[in-house]
Amino acid sequence: MNRATKRQEFILALLIAVEIALFSTIGKNFFSAANFFECVRLAVEIGLISLAMTPVILTGGIDLSVGSMMGLAAVVFGGLWQVAGFPLAAAAVCALIVGLLGGGINALLIARLNVSPLIVTLGTYSLFRGIAEGITGGARSYSNLPASFLYLGQGYIAGVVPTQMLVLAAAIVFYWLLVHRSVIGRAFYAIGLSPHGARYAAIPVTRRLTLVYLLSGLASSIAALIYVAHIGQAKSDAGTGYELIAITAVVLGGTSIFGGSGTIRGTLLGLAAIVILEDGLHLAALPAELAGISTGVLLVLTIALERLASRQRAAVAENQEFEMKNSQLAILCSTVIVGALIVAGSNWYLVKNLRSGTSGDTTAAKEGQGRLTVAMMPKSKGDPYFISCRAGAEEAAKEFNVNLIWDGPTQVDPAKQNEFVEGWITRHVDAIAVSVGNAASISTVLRKARSQGIKVVTWDADAAPDARDYFINQATPQGIGGTLADEAAKILHGKGEFAIITGALSAANQNLWIQYIKERVASKYPEMKLAILRPCDDDRDKAFSETQTILKVYPKVKVIIGISAPGVPGAAEAVKQSGRQDVKVIGLSLPNLCKPYVHEGVIQAVVLWKTRDLAYLTVKAAAALARGELHSGATSFQAGRLGDVKIEGTDIILGSPFVFTRENIDQFNF
Amino acid sequence: MIPVLEAVGIRKSFGGVRALRGVSLEVCAGEVHALVGENGAGKSTLIKIFAGALQPDEGEIRLEGTPIEHLTPAKSKSLGIAVIYQQPALFPDLTVSENIALAHEPPTAFRRIDWRKRNEHAATLLSRVGADMLPQAYVSSLSMPEQQLVEIAKAVDAEARLVIMDEPTASLGDRDAENLFRIVDELRKSGAAVIYISHRFEELFALANRVTVLRDGESMGTFPMAEMTNRDLVRLMVGREMEAVFPERNCTIGEPVLEVRHLTCVSRGVHDVSFVLRRGEVLGLAGLVGSGRTQFAETLFGLSRADGGSIAVGGKAVRIESPQQALALGLAYVPEDRRRHGVIMDFPVSMNTTLASLERVSRGGFLDFTAERRVAEEYRERFRVKAPSVDTPVRNLSGGNQQKVSLARWLMTEPRVLILDEPTQGIDIGAKHEIYMLIGELAARGIGIILISSELAEVLGMSDRIAVMHAGRVAGVLDRNHADAHTVMELALGHAAVGD
Amino acid sequence: MRKLLQREFAGFITLALFLIYLAFAAPSFYSLGNLRDIALANVSVLLISTGMTLVIVVAEIDISVGSLFAICGVCGGLLARGGLPIWMLPFAGIAIGSALGAANGGLVSFVKAPSIVVTLATMVAWREALNWATGGAWVENLPANFQWFGLGQAAGEAVLFSATAVLFLAILWASHNLPAFRSIYATGSDAEAARLAGINTKLVVFAAFVLVGALTGLASVLNAVRFSDVPANAGIGLELQSIAAVVVGGTPITGGRGRLMGTLIGVALLGIIGPALTYLQLSPYWEKAIQGGIILVTVLFDALASRAEKRPALA
Repeated sequence: MNRATKRQEFILALLIAVEIALFSTIGKNFFSAANFFECVRLAVEIGLISLAMTPVILTGGIDLSVGSMMGLAAVVFGGLWQVAGFPLAAAAVCALIVGLLGGGINALLIARLNVSPLIVTLGTYSLFRGIAEGITGGARSYSNLPASFLYLGQGYIAGVVPTQMLVLAAAIVFYWLLVHRSVIGRAFYAIGLSPHGARYAAIPVTRRLTLVYLLSGLASSIAALIYVAHIGQAKSDAGTGYELIAITAVVLGGTSIFGGSGTIRGTLLGLAAIVILEDGLHLAALPAELAGISTGVLLVLTIALERLASRQRAAVAENQEFEMKNSQLAILCSTVIVGALIVAGSNWYLVKNLRSGTSGDTTAAKEGQGRLTVAMMPKSKGDPYFISCRAGAEEAAKEFNVNLIWDGPTQVDPAKQNEFVEGWITRHVDAIAVSVGNAASISTVLRKARSQGIKVVTWDADAAPDARDYFINQATPQGIGGTLADEAAKILHGKGEFAIITGALSAANQNLWIQYIKERVASKYPEMKLAILRPCDDDRDKAFSETQTILKVYPKVKVIIGISAPGVPGAAEAVKQSGRQDVKVIGLSLPNLCKPYVHEGVIQAVVLWKTRDLAYLTVKAAAALARGELHSGATSFQAGRLGDVKIEGTDIILGSPFVFTRENIDQFNF
Repeated sequence: MIPVLEAVGIRKSFGGVRALRGVSLEVCAGEVHALVGENGAGKSTLIKIFAGALQPDEGEIRLEGTPIEHLTPAKSKSLGIAVIYQQPALFPDLTVSENIALAHEPPTAFRRIDWRKRNEHAATLLSRVGADMLPQAYVSSLSMPEQQLVEIAKAVDAEARLVIMDEPTASLGDRDAENLFRIVDELRKSGAAVIYISHRFEELFALANRVTVLRDGESMGTFPMAEMTNRDLVRLMVGREMEAVFPERNCTIGEPVLEVRHLTCVSRGVHDVSFVLRRGEVLGLAGLVGSGRTQFAETLFGLSRADGGSIAVGGKAVRIESPQQALALGLAYVPEDRRRHGVIMDFPVSMNTTLASLERVSRGGFLDFTAERRVAEEYRERFRVKAPSVDTPVRNLSGGNQQKVSLARWLMTEPRVLILDEPTQGIDIGAKHEIYMLIGELAARGIGIILISSELAEVLGMSDRIAVMHAGRVAGVLDRNHADAHTVMELALGHAAVGD
Repeated sequence: MRKLLQREFAGFITLALFLIYLAFAAPSFYSLGNLRDIALANVSVLLISTGMTLVIVVAEIDISVGSLFAICGVCGGLLARGGLPIWMLPFAGIAIGSALGAANGGLVSFVKAPSIVVTLATMVAWREALNWATGGAWVENLPANFQWFGLGQAAGEAVLFSATAVLFLAILWASHNLPAFRSIYATGSDAEAARLAGINTKLVVFAAFVLVGALTGLASVLNAVRFSDVPANAGIGLELQSIAAVVVGGTPITGGRGRLMGTLIGVALLGIIGPALTYLQLSPYWEKAIQGGIILVTVLFDALASRAEKRPALA
């Protein structure tokens, strides 16, 4: 039974060895005790969930709701503590109870009513996250947790061992005993291989399955608490996407997705493979997308290798299937893979060729002697706004002779931002510049970076003031919110209804802008009214549909404010297709995305700053700090082509937001 | 005359196991050719090769003198070979008519299906095999014997030159079996060749013209059926003389150990079943397939919930709502469907043996692997399970040995009441005999045994009393001395009033 | 028949109740313009869910469709910008989608890797590969005749709508009446029996993945032409949306059964929730919870109904 699993574990162990060897060579400070412990810290939340996922998959099930349960547990914990005034411990216990309840819902439907786990947890996946968003109105988050609690996620025992490692170790021991040593664990395997057989053997199938899903809910809520302590903030988006990483780790570790075979050791190996890969890529300054690509390839590779290896040993199975000849199979497989590669390659090539503007390739830095390394992070690499920033960063890097590492999460993910910073600290870059996705969560790591002599600036969005040397202030939230409200008022002549299409309901900066829009409207334009606010998930198509509906339900809305780069053109297209000449769109977006609509008169104004200049200034400031050319207390500083730039306190001021209109938009290309 | 099918020197190995070591066989038109052998002798492998489902390693297959290269299921079908598998190879989610159509319609991918024609055609075939069902019915809603009839209709329809039947009567009641024999006869008369596999010799003597005996993947020769006796066949299959099949038992029957009163489970078709089982007694449970014996056993064991009635174990009234409760009360149930319910195919012998009594090999909920191995080894020796070691997955054992593992699992629980559901179905004579011996031994130790079997001889030969079920009710209980095949059949068919 | 109807019943009832409630609470929901907009917004979801139904019927699953959707859209945009005649775009989308689907199908049916693992891997890998290649940049400056195939909005909408309807009806018809499609049901019902009945089951599974890939490619292009440029982050979460639609439509995840009419109901149900919430003037913050709730209620209803009807026989 275990032969296939063992073989896959062996393949995986080899792969991990290769990873370690590779990253030790190309990654800076990869092979060190400090980095080992950092890896472990990053692995704890995912690790807990992967451990809990192992028995779930062993019994032939799956639990897609774990990530969403983390979000719900985090919100319940934060809310009870901060809003309801519960003691910390009581709030934590309630969060764990919520985890058990959520697991109970899954268990009830799966174990009692025999509904397919995939379907049930697909439903609770939406439900749990939805409740978390509903409770917090998407936006609210709970921070300022006491240091004693944060120690759980950020502290060290004896100065080296991360606190949460103990939790993970305890969980490993618990699950190992449960799965491999206990009578109950034996039942998991029996149920996974044959639920009927297990029932006829007088195994309490329903109770065992219930236990598995309850534990999964409990582990998710424990992971949520650690996540909150780690990030320093409880928010509804905690654990987004963790279910897929956990499933990947478990399956990579040789556990059969159909149930009945697999080990805790395998899961830990799978987890290690994923975490080391991500960490190694950070330290080697390779682009983060490679992690996803390599994980996918690893997954297919280990399984394919295992299959091919087992084929050699031709099973003795009675109902053995008629096999295609090996040569035929090899040809077929390679055709398929080559085909896929050609598609991928041509896709990549086309994009490379046709992409205009940005200078292209990855900035894998070759650290020369004496050259400074500045690591710069956007909130999300895929956001067109940040893509337009990157050009300025690269321009400055060239001009001021620094190595630039430009990397960050591919989708907005505060926890990932911390991982990048941790990686850069280990790598010991000279300066770090961060566009902060979540101030509470990142400030701790930024402080740590500063304590190790790394210069830190924030740009685009700020962290806690003591966590960085300077903030490159492109425009204050008040400024942006105010400008948007003023532009809307200009169109409405101070009177009428407007609607807002925001990016994600949980995006902190967008919520801040909305807040300032509301404040400005309330104080200056009492006759204007916000009719409705809808999210578009930074998806152009969704912004389009939402706007279509808003136009019909709220016919009095004459202005739509889009607060998301893809949202503005989406809303504009909807207005255009509706033929409503009386409705105008304004918003925060990139000139290039909006140009056609600006010319057609659908979009009246796009509010933004000169993104290229912002990134240019950031790199220049970071380099100047690292070279000792910029000290605290300065009131101005010379920033290359931008000339002298004013400094107010610790804010380096880029200037006020810029309003792009039909008249000036053609002068800009970003 | 050129044989319809000729197989010469067929060899086939799975991994290191040689399933067929050069088997030759010829089947002529208008002949019913019996194929017999113990389980694992290679019968199923051979017919899968004829069906194109497996490729032989060596050897040649000739159809009416023409050698056939690289036979696939599709090709075999188009050449006029139809196969009725032991486990119906039907699609549970499709209708009867589509199941039948898939068996014979030419494999065109993009031509419109004429559903009306399909249904009419299916209806004709169903009436020919005497099946009473709608062509539009979903196969998943049919009972096992009904499914077997659909399987037969499929083969009849194909207007095949060669029809292969693998234990077609295994799940059929007598009336349907009669019907099948008529169809086999019709097929023979129409000039088709039939290969007929069965463990029931009386059928073979009634039907077959010639018989080929397989033993350990080799052919022991082909003989005219008329020249063979029961004893000859057994000798050829087993390679030795078999002593009297059923063991002598000197039973001392004790106090009642299980009393069942008016047990009813409407949803599973069990109505008002009452009887008393005593220590050391073997109570045979006879009846046609579908008479509710398995359903009754499963209700008793807590696998389905009873609607009414009472159960007393050892004189104490109890409620049984789950197998765990049944187990705790000292009941054990060795189920009919060995592969799906009796054992966990991918578990090794040891883990299968201990699965229902893990508390005996664990301390404080944690497993003691040394003790588990020791106990499993003990039971393997006691039951003479033929397996390389207790770590061998049960999947790799023969049917008889799988059954022994299933038995070992339940005897390890040290039951007071043992329910055996078709314990010898589909296993070879040697293993059968060992199981009979074991039943005798267990009864002598004071265990009360309920023996469910469709083989009349078995029930008559082993039981102290026989309860006969018909349509979910006990039609009568017969004493060993008063029971004979005729009375039992009459009761099973519902012809007679309650005996005793 | 009765049994199959029952499987769609839960979704159908939920949809009907929802629609009736809307008729009272927000009658303006039934304006022609709104229905048209909702239909158009769900054209791509319907096409993908159609393919997904067949993949689930064959007892597999494809969670990579969202990533395929993004890749096909970007490639379509690039090809249009590179000078490919506009009428060829849908075919290009089908070709690229089929190739990507073939990669999934090949790994599933010929390497025998579990489909949920394979498509999990390709979902992540293709998505990140696209992010890497484009750096998140949209495909802009498309030729003027890209939007609506250069036909103008009204005609373009009609083309989109009718193409989808024709395709859906064709597959619906074929799923009942063509042996090629029936073999999908046969394979999903019992792969071994199908093999013995002479069906090339590996090819059938492979073809199902190619088909869902092709439909995703087409859906992606049809969706892209509603706009004047192509974003690089399209289709996130599309896999869950389409699987949910299929499941709510009553197709069991275990394969062998399932009807496309049910999927149509599922797509409709999930597609109207978003707009309906706006019409009902409910807080957007609870939308996800309501969506999850509806999936669970449908599933629960179905489970209870089949529990009441089914013999509890496990045998």
